[in-house]
Amino acid sequence: MSAGRILVVDDQPQIRRVMRTTLVANGYEMDEARSGEQALEKLRSGHYDLVLLDMNMPGVDGLETCRAIRASRAWPEPAVIMLTVRSGERDKVEALDAGADDYVIKPYSTPELLARIRAALRRTPLARELGQRRVAFDNVEIDFEAHQVLVRGAPVRLTSKEMDLLSYLVTHPNRVLSHREILQAVWGPDYGDEHEYLRVFINRLRKKIEPHPAKPRYLLTEPWSGYRFHLPQNV
Amino acid sequence: MATSPYFAAARRRRPAGPGLVRAAVQVIASLAIVAGITFIGYRVIRVNATTAGFAYLVAILAVASSWGLVESLAASLAAVLCFNFFFLPPLLTLTVADPQNWAALLAFLATSVIASQLSARAKQRTREALRRQQDMERLYALSRSILLAHTEEDVAHGIARQIAQVFGFSAAALYDRSTGAIHHTGPEDVPEIDDRLHEAALKGTLFRDADAETVVTAIRLGGEPIGALALRGELPSDTVLQALANLAAIGLEKARAQEAANRADAARESQDLKSTLLDALAHEFKTPLTSMKAATSALLSGVVAEPRARQDLIAVVNEEIDQLNRLVTEAVHVARIEAGDIQLDRARQPLPPILAASLHTLESTIEGREVKVDLEPDLPEVNVDGDLTVLALRQLLDNALRYSPRGSPITLRAARREQHVVIRVSDHGPGVPLSELSRIFDKFYRGSNARGTYGTGMGLAIAREIAHAQGGEIWLEKTSSEGSEFCFSLPIGAEGGAP
Repeated sequence: MSAGRILVVDDQPQIRRVMRTTLVANGYEMDEARSGEQALEKLRSGHYDLVLLDMNMPGVDGLETCRAIRASRAWPEPAVIMLTVRSGERDKVEALDAGADDYVIKPYSTPELLARIRAALRRTPLARELGQRRVAFDNVEIDFEAHQVLVRGAPVRLTSKEMDLLSYLVTHPNRVLSHREILQAVWGPDYGDEHEYLRVFINRLRKKIEPHPAKPRYLLTEPWSGYRFHLPQNV
Repeated sequence: MATSPYFAAARRRRPAGPGLVRAAVQVIASLAIVAGITFIGYRVIRVNATTAGFAYLVAILAVASSWGLVESLAASLAAVLCFNFFFLPPLLTLTVADPQNWAALLAFLATSVIASQLSARAKQRTREALRRQQDMERLYALSRSILLAHTEEDVAHGIARQIAQVFGFSAAALYDRSTGAIHHTGPEDVPEIDDRLHEAALKGTLFRDADAETVVTAIRLGGEPIGALALRGELPSDTVLQALANLAAIGLEKARAQEAANRADAARESQDLKSTLLDALAHEFKTPLTSMKAATSALLSGVVAEPRARQDLIAVVNEEIDQLNRLVTEAVHVARIEAGDIQLDRARQPLPPILAASLHTLESTIEGREVKVDLEPDLPEVNVDGDLTVLALRQLLDNALRYSPRGSPITLRAARREQHVVIRVSDHGPGVPLSELSRIFDKFYRGSNARGTYGTGMGLAIAREIAHAQGGEIWLEKTSSEGSEFCFSLPIGAEGGAP
C-alpha cells in the first residue's frame, strides 16, 4: 500500500528526477508537473495527498499555484509543502499565507524533506483520543468525525492542518498553550520554533470562524507565551 | 592697476546733451504759462490783484512739482515781475508802493523753492523705488535661471552668463575656486581681471573702481570664500552686489550637490545591477546544487537503498557537476565581457557542432519542446571562437525559449549571406514591445514581460559583444505579436586566415 500520493511541481527536470527516485524508494506514489498550470490540471483530474511546490517557476509561480489550490473546491484538499530558495522571514510568511502547510528551503537534505512530508501527511488523532465527536458553541459547530465545520449553519472549508490545529485547540480549551506545545502536537515532534507557522495558521482560522477576526473571541493570543482557546460556557 | 587697459577701456562718459535741451524747453514753457496767466488776467477777464496772485501761485506750484527747481524759479521770477507790473499799483511800473506786496513776492519765491524741493525728493524716491524694484525683478529672474538651470551647460559659466545678461553688464567673470577655472562672459572678454579675482577669492576682499565701472567681490558660502565675481558696466548697489554673490554661491553649491547626488545615483545603480546579476547567478547555481544536495543526502542517509535507485542518484550528481562546470566557465566569460575584455580563441570550424553544443546546454530548458533546425546545405566553415559562439547562441535560444509559450516550437536556421553565415532564431512569443526595441541589447536591460523569469539581463548584451568581437552582427530581424526573429552573423573562414 502506498504511503501517499505526492505531486511534485518543479520546472527543473533534474530535481524532479531526484525526487521521483527518493519518493518511490520510500513507498510514495509520485507524479510530476513542470509548471503551475500543469499542476492545476493534474489536481483537477486526480487525487493527491500532498503537493511539493517549487516557489520560483516561470509563468504561474508557486504562490499563485498554492492560492489556486486553496481557492478551488474541485478536489479534496491536499497538504502543500512549498520549496523555496529564499529564506527571509517575509518569504516564509508569504508561502504560509498563500495556504502552504510547510516550507522547505533549497538546497534541502532528503531525510529532512522526507520528515516534513511525513509530518504533513500525519493525521492528528487527538479528537478521537479524547472521545469527543462534536463540539458546538455560539454559532460554531465542529464535527471531528466528518471533518466539518459549520459557522452560522454554513460549512467552512478547512485544510487538514487547519482542522488539526483547531481540533487541538478546542480539545484543550481555556488554558494557555505554548507555541512549542502546539507545534509539536499538530506538526510533529521535529517542530517547535516555527512561531510564524502558528501566527499565519491562527490568522487563517480566525478569518474562518471568528465573527470579528481582528478582535478574536475564541482564538486568543497570549503575548510571549502562546495561544488560548476560549470555549464559551454554552457548549 | 587702474591704468590697465581693462579699466581704461571702461572709461566712458555719458553725453549730457538731451538733458540740457529738455531743461531749456521746460523753462521756456514755464515762462509761457506765466505769460498766459498774465494775458488772461490783464486783458481777457480783468481780475483783481488777489486773484492774479493766487493764479500765479497755483501755476508755480504746478511747475515746481512736475518739473523742478530751475523751472519753478524762472516761473516765480517772471510771476513776480508780471504781478508787480500788471496788477500792483502803480500799474505798469515796476515800483512797489505798498510794502505788503513784498510779502506776495516772497510768498512766490518760498512756494517755488519748497514745492520744487518736495517734488524733487518725491521724484528721487520714485526713481529709487523703481530701481530697487528693477533690481529685485532682475535678482528674481536670475535666481530662477540659476536654480532651475539644466546641467548640460557648465554651471559656473552659466551663472556668469546669466548675471551679465540679466543685469546688462558689459562683462562678467566668475572664478570657481574648487575647479580653479575662471569663466568669462560678455562682449568684452578681458583676461587681466584674473589676478583680481584670485586675490578676492583668497582674501575675501571687495574691490570697486567707479571710474573703470568695475567691481570684484568674493563669493562666500558660510563665511568661506568659494570663488569671486567680477562685473563691469553700470555698477550695482552693494546690496545687489551682495545678493549676486550669494546667488552665485548658491548656484555653485547646488551644482556641487547635484554632482555628488549624480555620483551617488550612479553608484547605487551599479550596485542594483550587480545585485540583480548576483541574484540571477545565485539562482542558476542553486539549481544544480539543489539536485546534488538532495541526491547525496539521500545516498548518505540510506533512505534510498535499492542499487538501481542509488545509481540513478549518482548519475544526477555527475550530470549536475557538468552543469555547474559549464555555469562557472560561462560566469567567467560574462565577467570578462562585462569588463570589456574579450579574448578570442578563433579557429575555422564547421557550424553544426556549435549549434548542437548550444542546444545541448539548454537541454533542461528545452525539455520536451520542439526545436526545428533548418540548415542550408553546404554551409561554409566559420572563423570563430567556438566556446563564445556557443555562449552567444545559448543566450538567443534561451530568450526564445523563455519568452514563448511552452507548446510553441522554436526554429533555428542557418544560411550563408555573402561573407557571413547568418543564424536565425525565431519563436512564437509575444514579441518585443516597440518602446523596448532600442534597449534590448543594453546591459542589464530586462524586458517588461520578463516577470517571473530569472535572468541577468546580460544575455543579449553578451551575445552582441561576442558578435562584434568576431566581426559579426546581431539584430532583431522582425518582431510582432506572432513572434520574434533574432539574427546572429558569423564570419566565414576565408582562405588564408582571420580577417
